[in-house]
Amino acid sequence: MFSLIVFLVSILAGVLGALLGLGGGIIIVPVLTLGFGVDIKYAIAASLISIIATSSGAAASFLKDHLTNLRVAVLLEAGTVSGALVGFLISSYANSSFLYIMYGTFLIFSALMMLRKRGDNLSVLDHRWSTKLKLAGKFQDQAGAMIDYRVANVPAGLIAMFFAGVLSAMLGIGSGIFKVLAMDGAMKLPMKVSSATSNFMIGVTASASASAYLLRGDVRPEIASPVSLGIIVGAFYGAKLMPKMNAQTIKKIFVVVLMIVSIQMLMKGFQ
Amino acid sequence: MNEIEELELKIAKFLRYGILVAGLLIFIGWAINFEWSGNPFARFQVYSHAQMSDLVEVSFMAQDWGILISYVGLFALISLPIIRVLLTAVLFVKQKEYTLAMIAVFVLSGLITSFALGIEL
Repeated sequence: MFSLIVFLVSILAGVLGALLGLGGGIIIVPVLTLGFGVDIKYAIAASLISIIATSSGAAASFLKDHLTNLRVAVLLEAGTVSGALVGFLISSYANSSFLYIMYGTFLIFSALMMLRKRGDNLSVLDHRWSTKLKLAGKFQDQAGAMIDYRVANVPAGLIAMFFAGVLSAMLGIGSGIFKVLAMDGAMKLPMKVSSATSNFMIGVTASASASAYLLRGDVRPEIASPVSLGIIVGAFYGAKLMPKMNAQTIKKIFVVVLMIVSIQMLMKGFQ
Repeated sequence: MNEIEELELKIAKFLRYGILVAGLLIFIGWAINFEWSGNPFARFQVYSHAQMSDLVEVSFMAQDWGILISYVGLFALISLPIIRVLLTAVLFVKQKEYTLAMIAVFVLSGLITSFALGIEL
């Protein structure tokens, strides 16, 4: 019965994760620890599995709808993976409370910036690297119109992904939010493309740490099974829902989640 | 259909079948051991360190097929993104997109390195 409840909650986390380009960790971890008293280590292991399930569950639909920009994803993954390696190596020297506070403050700031902006802020110019790697793309919006977009400021996007990787490795978070913000803000990608591409990428970063957690015995099937099944169902549905949704609505939900996560991060920092 | 779309569809197909197989295995494992009453999470309130190899061995001795099948499913799920990066590299090479293929290979080697570092923890 209890695992059925976790399964149902995970469906919700999967829908939200697929829509916003983040793993379900922000929902899964508090539900498991506060709701069911599960130890944080098992909860984090389950949430890493949930990131992979959200990513792989939604990816097929997003690719077919051309919302995921595969070329941008592959390029930016290089930044995330190198950041994760560096984060891993320096994690024993750094002060994680300070990082949580910095990250939390940054997220609040981003939420406020997003509230001020209306609609997608598309770039007219294609960055030199984007032209070379043919990163620009197009997709169909909910009204059926084709939207052509270009990719601005690729180096800034790569640097941001490097920091996203450092954060993931040091704080054990998926950092999907940070990825969406970088693609939407710096690279001027449309909101739907940013969140579908972030969704595609978060699975890759999570898979390396998840396999280490699995071998270490922290991924327990009793917890991870209902979580991953729920997430897969939710992510399938969320991915089907996204093309029909208004980008503005997705952005509004994103800002709310951004606020909640920033408070979570600040609370962890001041603990 | 242009080359990028073809590549996207191949990767989409791989991920769709991959997630269905992994999900089915996890579901079978979950269904075998499903408990209608009691709290299956109660024994996870305190963390106890145990290697996966030991956990699998115990389940094997007890012939706990539910747990074993779940492990296979979870392992399949975790390997999906890694195989996807490899597949992307191969497909980019086939389309003579060497810069992106090299980037994908770099990502893959980074993943393998971080995995190796993770095990030593």
